[in-house]
Order: sequence, then C-alpha cells, then structure tokens
Amino acid sequence: MNEHVLLVEDDASIREIASLGLEQAGFRVTSSGDGREGLVQFRQSAFDLVVLDVMLPTLDGFEVCREIRKDSQTPIVMLTARADLHDVIVGLELGADDYMTKPFELPELVARIKAVLRRSAADPGDHVIAVDGLEIDPAGFTVRRGEEEIALTATEFKLLLELARRPKQVFTRELLLELVWNYDYLGDSRLVDAAVQRLRGKIEADPKEPKLIRTVRGVGYRFDAG
Amino acid sequence: MPLRRRLTIAFGLAVGLTAVALAAGSYFVVRHNLLRDSVKSSAKQARKNLTLAPSYLPGTKNLLDAYTRTGGFETIGFVGDQSFASKLFLEPKEVPASLRRIVGRGQLGYQRETVSGTHYLIVGGPAGDAQLYFFFSEQGLRHELAVLRNILLAGGGLLVLLAVLGGAVLARQTLRPVARASAAAHSLAEGLLETRLPVEGQDEFGGWAQAFNEMATALEAKISALSAAQARERRFTADVAHELRTPLTALVGEASLLSEHLDRMPDQSRRPAELLIADVGRLRRLVEDLMEISRLDAGAEAVQPEAVDLASATGAILRARGWDGRVRLDTEKTIVTTDPRRLERIVANLVGNALEHGGDGVVIRVGRDGARAFVEVADQGPGIPPDHLSHLFERFYKADPARSSPGSGLGLAIAQENARLLGGEIEVWSEPGKGSRFTLRL
Repeated sequence: MNEHVLLVEDDASIREIASLGLEQAGFRVTSSGDGREGLVQFRQSAFDLVVLDVMLPTLDGFEVCREIRKDSQTPIVMLTARADLHDVIVGLELGADDYMTKPFELPELVARIKAVLRRSAADPGDHVIAVDGLEIDPAGFTVRRGEEEIALTATEFKLLLELARRPKQVFTRELLLELVWNYDYLGDSRLVDAAVQRLRGKIEADPKEPKLIRTVRGVGYRFDAG
Repeated sequence: MPLRRRLTIAFGLAVGLTAVALAAGSYFVVRHNLLRDSVKSSAKQARKNLTLAPSYLPGTKNLLDAYTRTGGFETIGFVGDQSFASKLFLEPKEVPASLRRIVGRGQLGYQRETVSGTHYLIVGGPAGDAQLYFFFSEQGLRHELAVLRNILLAGGGLLVLLAVLGGAVLARQTLRPVARASAAAHSLAEGLLETRLPVEGQDEFGGWAQAFNEMATALEAKISALSAAQARERRFTADVAHELRTPLTALVGEASLLSEHLDRMPDQSRRPAELLIADVGRLRRLVEDLMEISRLDAGAEAVQPEAVDLASATGAILRARGWDGRVRLDTEKTIVTTDPRRLERIVANLVGNALEHGGDGVVIRVGRDGARAFVEVADQGPGIPPDHLSHLFERFYKADPARSSPGSGLGLAIAQENARLLGGEIEVWSEPGKGSRFTLRL
C-alpha cells in the first residue's frame, strides 16, 4: 500500500518512535517538528493522511488543521495531549477525522489510520443516490448539488453515504461509529456529533434547521429524503 | 416568644398602665370635685329656699311660683298629711324614706336619686312644720363626666396603641444588630466568607460586631489559605501528570515496538525488556488515572447523558475486555439516562477488581431496586477486613501495604467520583472469608 503519511509532532522521541512504528506498519512517513514547517511540507508533496499534534511551536495543530482544510480533504488524525472535551471538540469541528489522546499505543494509532484511510477508498459497484437535488456518487466519491460539487472529507462522505443509503432509518451514534469509523462500543460519540455538524454545514440549506439529517432526540440521527 | 415581641409587650404595658393610672386618677379627682361643688351650691340654694318658705306657707302655690322664678330646681313639699309638688311627675314617693328620716329629725339632708331617668340631687330640710325637698338636676354634670370618661378612655387606648407601636419600632431598632448578626452568621455558614457586620456606635452591639468581623476575617483567611493550598496541590498533581504525558507517550511507543521484537532478542536482554514493557504499562495506567482524578477534581469532566440500557451496556463492557466468559451475568433490561463512558469506567473498574481479588465466581447483577437502578458486582474472594472498608475509596489506599497490586491505587476513588458525577454512589459490603459486593446505584 505504501500510503504517504505526514507526521507533525514536536517531541523528538515521540516523532521518531511513531515514524518507526508507522514505517514498520507499511506507511511512508515524512515527519516535522513544527507547525509552519509541517504545513509547508504538506503543500510540497501529496499525502494520504496527516497525523497532527495539537501543541506545536510556531503554529499550533488547530491552526494547521484549519489551513489544510481550506483547500484539502486529506484525512487528519489529531494527537491531543489532553482528553479535554474542549480540545477534542475544537479539533473535530475544524475538520479532523479522528483523534488520539496521549499516551497512545502504536498499534492503536495504526489501526485508526487504517480505518480513516479505508473510508477514502471508493466503493465501486454502488450506484448513484439522488435525493432532494443532492447527487451522491459512491464510485466517484463526489457529492453534487446541481452543477456544484460539494467538497467533503472521506469521513463526512462515508457518513452521508451510510445515512442516505437507508433514508428514514434511525442510526444510533454507536452504529454510526461502527459503520463509519469502524469502532466498537468504546468509540467516542462526540466524533459522530462533530462530523454531523460539519456535514450539515456543507449540505443543508440552513444548517441551523436541518432538513436532510435530522436529530432523533436521545437516540441518534436519521436521513430524510424530501 | 421572640425577644422582639416581649420587648414590645413590656413597653406597651409600661406606658399603658401609667396612662390608665393617670387617667383614672384624674377622672376620680374631677368627679369628686364636681359632685362636691354640686352639693355645696345646691345646699346653699336649699337653705335660701327654706328661709324663704315660712313667709309663704301654708299657701303653697305662691311659694312654688316664687321658687319657679328662682329656677334651677323642682320642689316637693309636705305639710301635715298634705303634699305638693312643682311638677306633676314628682310624686311624694320619689322622696327617699332615709332622707325623710333625716329631715324629720330637723336636719338638712341630701341624697342622689334617679327619677324618670333623670339624675337628681335631692336636698331636703324642715321649714316650720313643713318639709321641703328640692330636686336639683345633675343631668348636665353626669353628661360632662361621661364625656370626660370617654375622652380619657379613648385617649388612654390611643396611648396604649401608640406605646405598642413605638415599642415595636424601638424593639426592632434595638434588636436590629441581632437580626443582622444572625443573617450574617447564616451567610457565613453558607460559604459567603466575605460577609461582615457594619460597626455602628460604641455600644455593646458595636463591640460585638467588631468581634464578629474579626472572627469572620480570621475564618476567611484560614479557609482561603486552605483552599489555595488544596488548589496548588491539585494543580501540581495535574501539572505533573500532564508533564509526564509526553515522555510517557514516547515510552509507550518504544515499549510497543520493543515488544514486537522480543523473540529476536538475546536471552539476557529479553527478560529485562519484558519487565520494561510491563512497567511502562503500569506507569501509563498510573498517569492516566492521575490525569483523570485531577480532571474530576477540577470539575472539568462533562457529563453527556443519554438513554442507556444498563444490562446491554454491561454486557458490551465485558465483551470489550474479554471478560464475558469469566463472570456470571444476572441482568434485566434497565433503561437509565446516564453517560455511557463514565458508566464504563465505573463498571470496568469494579469488575476488574473483582476478577483480580475474587478470582472465579464473580456474579454481576443489573436491575432496579425501587426507584434506583443498580449494577452489583459480587465476588467470592477473601473479602475486606471491616476496618479497611471505610478507607476503601481513599486515594492510594491499600488494604495491605505489603502487597503490591497492578492497579494505580486510584481506581476506586475515580470510580466513586464518576459515580457522584452521574448522581449516584458506590456502596460496598464485605465479609472476610465470604467475599465482597460493590453496588453502583444510579
């Protein structure tokens, strides 16, 4: 596979051992110890995924994430030093696909990276779903409203696809974690909430009054076609 | 009875009694004087009348005419068996017998009587062989006395009322510092340590307020010093845990790579590497627990409640840890609104402990006990001696100091904090030799 991963982490030991671990898992790794430099590297070559620490010199992880999301849908996994609700939510709202809190086990990081990358893999053989002026093309990995293409991250796309495939069905957060993030019971339902928020921001006419992705109070979410 | 009411009543009574005594005294003095004056002037007139009488008698008509000209009284006269009167309604029987006896003895006498609803002062005396009785109306006098009495009664009543009102105001004024001090003490007790009393005047209350304020200041200083120390200590713990994270992350990564190469290591370095990997794991658990407890202390942990079936959640927690084959489950569907992540922390900790100390024979029951849902983890281990039970949820408390356990020593403390965060608690029952039972109630 040899996917190319950009690792931005300021602690030299963590950077080195994580690079080593990812390389042994079969990834090609470019690493950087500083936010600004990491962003420059990201723009110089093509990466399949970015692993981003929050606490970074010159430009923090949130800023780097924001910059990347301005013109790229490359998957991002954030490394947070704290399991602070606030940190996690900020990262997810900025468009990170997943997060890991330190300290983490290397195999877990590898597993999450693989799960995120699997999401970006096209799902051929699936036909185009058209609802409410929205065209979802699983093979082409694109979403259109009329002529206009809507840029979604792999996570957002997968989430939309899972919901839109079975309109009217109520999805619990746990089920979505399983379907989209490939997590078992132990995943964090905030991942789902933050991703739904972002997705609504992109596909709903009025994200404050969502018509397509409805919240089912106390349960989860439901896709309403028209 | 409250002090304020007692003061009010005392003041009202004092003023009221004084007023009543004064009013009653002056009324009786005035009444006495008026009645005496009335007797004097009537007697004077009666004497005049009696001196006049012999020149007219026995002709009664002319006598009565002369009396009528003088005016101010009515007359009844007795001459032998005959009687006469200046007014038809005055009958001889209106003259009291006792008065007649006095006059019969040749003396001047008087008596007060009511005739047809009118108060009269009857003055009688002998005039030759006749007896004359003069009826002086005291109606006006009585009326004046009645008016005076009413005025005094009304005035007295008003005075008592004013006294009670004044007493109430005065009592309130006097007791205001007491009420203020009691309110201040309450707010101190509720934790408003900056509460102070205004110091007014040099009296006892002023001194008291000053002493109260000194106490409050000392208390505030003490408590803020204590909480600052506690906050420092907690902050230090949080900082330490946080600072440990970065090197620990590297260590965990290194250990995890090392573990993949254990079998290719020479024998003499493999065992130390194995120990190193295990210890890194232990350090990691300790630091994570420290992080969690300092977040709980800081109140930084948010609760995300949702509808959870305790039975299926417990099953999932056990499956996720590969414990499902090692425990017996006795559960019924129990839906509660709670935070599943916190629930997981608690249940995993309790079951982990039970498996570690109790070995096989761990039974987990889930259900509802009245209004509260419970998850009960029972083991058949050695149990916990009673004197350790109350310390079980303290941080780093170990029932047996000599025995090292794989836990951080924070597990139960964290579980209890999490349970409180969910509005519940963990109860423990244990009997040495029989086993222990931990019950989470929500």
